[in-house]
Amino acid sequence: MQSRPLGARALGLVAAAAVLASACATNSSGGTDGSPGTCTQQESPVITLAAYSNVYDVYGKLISNFQTEWKDSHDGQQVIFQTSFAGSTTQAQNVVNGFPADIVALSLAPDVQMIQDAGLITHDWTQATDGGIMATSVVVFDVRPGNPKHIENWDDLTQPGLEILTPDPAQSGGARWNIVAAYGASMRGHVPGYAANDPAAAEKLLEGIFKNVTVMDKSANDSIKDFQSGNGDVAITYEYAVLAAQKAGLPDEAVIPSSTVSIQTPVAVVDEYAQEHCVEDIANAFVKYLHTKEAEDLFTSVGYERSVNLKQAKAGGGGTYPAVKDLFTTDDLGGWDQLQSDTVFGPDGAFTKAQQTVTG
Amino acid sequence: MSAEVRTPRLSGSTRRLLVHGGFTAIAILYVGVLVVAPLIGIAWAALRGGLSTWTSTLAQPDVVHAYLITGIITAITFFVTTVLGVVVALVITRDRFPGRSLLSAFVDLPLAVSPVIVGVMAVLLFGRGGWFEPWFSARGIQILFALPSMVLVTIFICIPFVIREVVPVLQELGVSEEEAASTLGASSWQTFFRVTLKNIRWGLLYGIALTTARAIGEIGAILIVSGSITGKTETATLYILRAFDQNQDPSGYVVALTLALVSIVLLVGIEAFKRREERELRT
Amino acid sequence: MSTQTLDRPSVPRPQRGPGPRPWVTARAAMARWGLRGTALLYLGLLIVLPTVVVVARGFGKGLTAFRDALTTPGAREAIILTVGLAAVTAVINVVFGTELAYVLVRYRFPGRRLLSTIVDIPFAIPTLVTGVMLRALYGPISPVGAFLDRHGIQVIFAQAGILLALLFVTLPLVVRTVQPVLLELDETEEEAARVLGASRWLTFRRVVFPKLRPGIVAGGLLAFARALGEFGAVVIVSGNIIGKTLTAPVLITQLINGGKPEDAAAVATLLFGLSFVLVLVTERLLSTGRKEAS
Repeated sequence: MQSRPLGARALGLVAAAAVLASACATNSSGGTDGSPGTCTQQESPVITLAAYSNVYDVYGKLISNFQTEWKDSHDGQQVIFQTSFAGSTTQAQNVVNGFPADIVALSLAPDVQMIQDAGLITHDWTQATDGGIMATSVVVFDVRPGNPKHIENWDDLTQPGLEILTPDPAQSGGARWNIVAAYGASMRGHVPGYAANDPAAAEKLLEGIFKNVTVMDKSANDSIKDFQSGNGDVAITYEYAVLAAQKAGLPDEAVIPSSTVSIQTPVAVVDEYAQEHCVEDIANAFVKYLHTKEAEDLFTSVGYERSVNLKQAKAGGGGTYPAVKDLFTTDDLGGWDQLQSDTVFGPDGAFTKAQQTVTG
Repeated sequence: MSAEVRTPRLSGSTRRLLVHGGFTAIAILYVGVLVVAPLIGIAWAALRGGLSTWTSTLAQPDVVHAYLITGIITAITFFVTTVLGVVVALVITRDRFPGRSLLSAFVDLPLAVSPVIVGVMAVLLFGRGGWFEPWFSARGIQILFALPSMVLVTIFICIPFVIREVVPVLQELGVSEEEAASTLGASSWQTFFRVTLKNIRWGLLYGIALTTARAIGEIGAILIVSGSITGKTETATLYILRAFDQNQDPSGYVVALTLALVSIVLLVGIEAFKRREERELRT
Repeated sequence: MSTQTLDRPSVPRPQRGPGPRPWVTARAAMARWGLRGTALLYLGLLIVLPTVVVVARGFGKGLTAFRDALTTPGAREAIILTVGLAAVTAVINVVFGTELAYVLVRYRFPGRRLLSTIVDIPFAIPTLVTGVMLRALYGPISPVGAFLDRHGIQVIFAQAGILLALLFVTLPLVVRTVQPVLLELDETEEEAARVLGASRWLTFRRVVFPKLRPGIVAGGLLAFARALGEFGAVVIVSGNIIGKTLTAPVLITQLINGGKPEDAAAVATLLFGLSFVLVLVTERLLSTGRKEAS
């Protein structure tokens, strides 16, 4: 082996430096100077938003409006938004794992709770306006034109041979809303053939439905996209996703069952990262903006969401939003904590047992 | 032992032609249905939208960013795996120490690992509760959901390519030329650049082309570690996923086709390098 | 490794005095260790360490937890499905891949070079793009997909789609593993058999095939190992239904996304342990095969 200068070791160091350099490059744009507790103001502050999968349209619009307004009222300061859209639970897990989101817009409160439990959210976000909820929708059935399989209510989903699309509850918040809607409708006695207040009946309903589930995508958006690609007979999804599809000219049809859950989607500032990136005030301003009338109108017109007010959501209105016979919230079922850890998703929960039976 | 002499029904050469033709046809048909048809499919899907789809897609800042991020990751990966790959190849073929064959086995390990598992490795090291997480987060350095983790996983996956191409060449060539050079008074650096590097160049280029193609196309590990932050950690492959997610299928097909074309160009380069390498080894 | 004795050149050697000075040998030793150290550090940090962390975290909660992670209905079904599909992939591509290798090596026809290049395309194409291509071709929106749909054949979101994706990405592995073995075969034995009156098929079966076998098996094992871990192509075409279309790599992403890193690590350890063993066996097969052929 010929003698070789120690330049070889230098090469290794250069390589390591390259990797660290990319680390510094990405950090400098984030406004940190490396040590917690201090932060440097940026000329063009960057806000990182982690949102759930299918609200890219409305947040796209909300963000651009906010950016314009901020520019006008803050001496031309340009706020940059970097967005990420994925299954709600996936996003929450990522934030807990270090994803530096300044704001999270998730599809259900437990996912925000997860981030709070990890110590990243230090304020009580549920005390904000409307309990931190931005907008609501309802769980509906997305069916083929003319509803050839005659799906009107939850029990119709159990008909043999039907192919149902619903996302994976471990990754998607929408998936859990779907399950809670079925559970709640059964428990409240609005599903023919399933007794009210009977957990066993609810379990049986979930079993019947999940026997027919053919695709469990990783996000609500993936699920409806698959349905639109021609797979399955029905997709259980958010009402707004179906309305957005109709707006885009697709032939999706929404069927609202007699009883369904009001999907309440929360937004919260992630204190730890917002402080670290020196964007806490802008982040709070954005969240506040989401509660303004202008934002509300955008949620309705672009996002096809219903009002945060339950009575108004139930009544619907404006021709686009049919009234819902029985619209309930998770509070009516004992709250998310109970649903998560006990009655539906707990070890003896209706869904857990139903899934065990179906997968054998 | 007497073997039966068969009297063929057709003349021997005709029969052989038919058999050859048949086998060739099967081969062509299989490759046609399995490989060529999908290529045609994506070309059709991407070109359906016409020129306007192409221009509007490639002009989007998100798309430009995505290509840029893919480019940065590929460039760093290519640099690290090439330089250090040559070092490892030299050590494997020229150095003698206990455990050398173990080292060689480890080089092959990334080939057996699903890219998803590489993503899991990164999360287990740098995510919350990870072995290195406290050290990095105390210093405010972002590894996961930022470029560093994306670079690291891509490097892991690409490590074997350069090494596996250079090692056989080094083994075939032996040390005689280098020894001659140093006997003639050349310094180590001179020997390396003028002799060694020149000898391994086609194998090296082959390995580099493979590395580049693989780095451009990485999705499994990147999906787990990047967070898909548009404009920051979204690679070209991640953009394609998002385009299909967000009802922008035509754009997705366009970017997918560009990646396919780049890969095919690299492939043609790979084939050319491979032929040159074989030719040189034979002489 | 070839060793060649060096003929002393007629050029006079530069003077070095009474042997290498201590600092020269020390410097050479340091440089050797520098190179060796760099290599060890590179591989140690980038390969050994991540491997250890996966196995450690997989078993982190104990052997029972490891076994439990693998035996939940979802995991068990996913592993069985993945192994099954990978096996079918390997078998199909061993048959067609060997046939392809034979055609490429033994026959001459116009377009042979092109065919050879096309066979390598799956090596270069991003796996995600592979999935996108299959979806473009067999999705219900394409004419081919619509046709198949009308006849009740479902490709996308069914096992057929996953199989096509796996066949695509593993084809070159088999062909390029068998090809060199074929190339190195000495044709004189075959000619002798033919002269003695053996049919082509008999010649193939008794003379060629036994020599080819290590290469074929190696190619099959490599294809199998590769198919076990395929993600990018599968994730686009699969429906993620437990027991029917959920493969182990997709399951692992679900577990990681769903906040179960130890479970993910457990399945990952099993998967990559299997693949790694297969790759090692393949290397052994190929090197012995090479020795036999020469």
